[in-house]
Amino acid sequence: MEICDTYYSKDEFVETASGNKVNRQTVLCGSQNIVLHGKVIVDKGAIIRGDLANVRTGRYCIISKNAVIRPPFKQFSKGVAFFPLHIGDHVYIGENSVISAASIGSYVYIGKNAVIGRRCVIKDCSIIEDGAILPPETTLASFMKFTKEGKIEGGQGTESVPPAMLDLMVDFTKSFYEHFIPSTH
Amino acid sequence: MDFLISQNYVNYVCQCGLLKPLTNLYFCRHCLNLRCSFCCHHEVDSHFCRNCLENIPSSEAKLRKNKCNSCFDCPSCSFSVLSARATTIQVPMTVKEKQEGEESSTTTSEASSGKMVAKKMYYLACLACRYSSRDVGISDQASQNFCWPEQEYMHANRFNTILNYYQALVLHDKQVKQDEKRRKTTNKSKFQSMTDRTGLNVSAIRRQMGFDKTVSKPKNKPASILPSMTEEVEELSEDIFTKPINLKNITTIEQRFTQPANQPESVKHLYPQHKNLSIKRSIRCRHCEHNVIKPEYNPTSIKYRIQQFASSHVPEVRIIKCYPLMPNKSAFITLKLTNPTMNDMTITIMELPTDDEEVMMIDEMKKNFESLTVSSKSSLMRPSLIEDPRIVSCKPTAKLELPDSSFVINQRDDSAEFDDEIQTDKKDPKFVIWRKANKIAIELSITPNDLKVNDEVIVGFTMHYTYSTVPSTTAEKKDSQQRHALNARVYLNVGNIVDYSTK
Ligand SMILES: [Zn+2]
Ligand SMILES: [Zn+2]
Ligand SMILES: [Zn+2]
Ligand SMILES: [Zn+2]
Repeated sequence: MEICDTYYSKDEFVETASGNKVNRQTVLCGSQNIVLHGKVIVDKGAIIRGDLANVRTGRYCIISKNAVIRPPFKQFSKGVAFFPLHIGDHVYIGENSVISAASIGSYVYIGKNAVIGRRCVIKDCSIIEDGAILPPETTLASFMKFTKEGKIEGGQGTESVPPAMLDLMVDFTKSFYEHFIPSTH
Repeated sequence: MDFLISQNYVNYVCQCGLLKPLTNLYFCRHCLNLRCSFCCHHEVDSHFCRNCLENIPSSEAKLRKNKCNSCFDCPSCSFSVLSARATTIQVPMTVKEKQEGEESSTTTSEASSGKMVAKKMYYLACLACRYSSRDVGISDQASQNFCWPEQEYMHANRFNTILNYYQALVLHDKQVKQDEKRRKTTNKSKFQSMTDRTGLNVSAIRRQMGFDKTVSKPKNKPASILPSMTEEVEELSEDIFTKPINLKNITTIEQRFTQPANQPESVKHLYPQHKNLSIKRSIRCRHCEHNVIKPEYNPTSIKYRIQQFASSHVPEVRIIKCYPLMPNKSAFITLKLTNPTMNDMTITIMELPTDDEEVMMIDEMKKNFESLTVSSKSSLMRPSLIEDPRIVSCKPTAKLELPDSSFVINQRDDSAEFDDEIQTDKKDPKFVIWRKANKIAIELSITPNDLKVNDEVIVGFTMHYTYSTVPSTTAEKKDSQQRHALNARVYLNVGNIVDYSTK
């Protein structure tokens, strides 16, 4: 199916010079620690906890409604420390998902209602299904899919993740951005 | 973006007759046909651990029994990887540690305090189900890596004996075969090439059939091993039917299968299991033996050395909209077609072959395979390995009004990505709504059959497209480019019949 146009009201969104479109009803804590590398959409209700540690996203990332991006912590004998969270290019994060990973590669698709435990490492070209829950410190290798049953499936050369995942995600995030347009009324 | 939604709306017919979305298909540039993972050869390129992402050479992988040395799977939930957790315990200081403590008192400041010293110890824990290596009585280890006690298997010795015996036997057979060959070089059997390919030779077949007498006396045949004893089986104890059991202490079938060598019955014996290795694979066309996919060896690399995705050779069809879906009433369907290649494409939309035509097509394909396998002597593949094409299982439930003329889709131009001008060409036939760079939108009409409410409406068509082979090296001139006329059969699931009468 072709992606449909998504209309938004111009009053609700702030568009930066680099093309980021950020909804006014988002919580961006410690915004000096948050770097969005351009053409990033942050939708209504999303929370990015830049106050805990640095958060950096690549180009063409889509952070859907009510998603939570929260840098991971590690416990030491003398308390806890927070670590930065890096997200690559062309990443889609579905609605209501909670991300506490250490890093997310590029061309990653994260479904809605997913929970990514603290200090997970998500490699390029992987898929996390809707409602999947990744235990802390999980590594998801490239071309693997984490299912909602909690299993890691597929791998390069299988059909769980399309072999042309890179091109697909580039196409998807770009056309999502292009179809995300202000309503004209 | 069909993979994002669980259902695939647009499917293409692979050469083997299976329906697949374009994203899961490959395009063999040498056969100029669609291929899928079902009708191709899969070859293991490299082994790696998907947790620590270490690349393991295949010879080493074999030695390690395709398992990672340093990563462990949780034996209890079997989904998750165990991670090492650190604890500090108080241990009495030994003489050796005392000396070390004095030398590096800055690093271990607590070492100097009294006779007890804090020591870091590690245990394995599952962060998904809270299993820990302490549960099964494995003592904490001083180092995080490589020193976890290996589990002992009851039958390990027996398996080793059998393995050694059969290895010796293979070696022996090879020797016999060689002797045989030396003797028979003068009168070569005409079936030899055939049997060689199957891994059997004449002498081996004869031996199997029992005509052992002509074979010369085997030299040093390995001493045969004792067959496994049929020991007396113990009677079941009487209380097996009466004793209440606690299901929490009994392992599930899945848990047992993750430890095939032991298959423990009680959760007390669930030991951490070494993680199985993952592979990177290359996929090879069975007809011409060219790769359609060959990945980089590096486990973290997502690049390919060879990639022949169908999505970069075959025009992509997407449904924009289709309404209203009522039985026996015509509906409009808007499709978007994209040309992914660097050459203009002429597209003609035609009807699907009828059942008889499809059978004929398949027969012709089979004949082609046979001639192909006969002509290529060097072929590694046997004809039986080529998948027989099958009849497409999907039947359209609506009739498509075919457009009356063919149309051209412009080539892909990466530099033109940013000018979004919608171009209109007066020469275009009426059904073309708009065109934008290498994309075109067309509107056709369909008439669903006599269907009930909520029945799926499926339309299909044969897409005839021109494809130009790109010269593979720059040395080749542009006029070496060849144009081909190819067909792809496309099935669209446009939606379900809607009941408009109640609205
Ligand atoms: Zn196939
Ligand atoms: Zn490993
Ligand atoms: Zn577990
Ligand atoms: Zn081929």
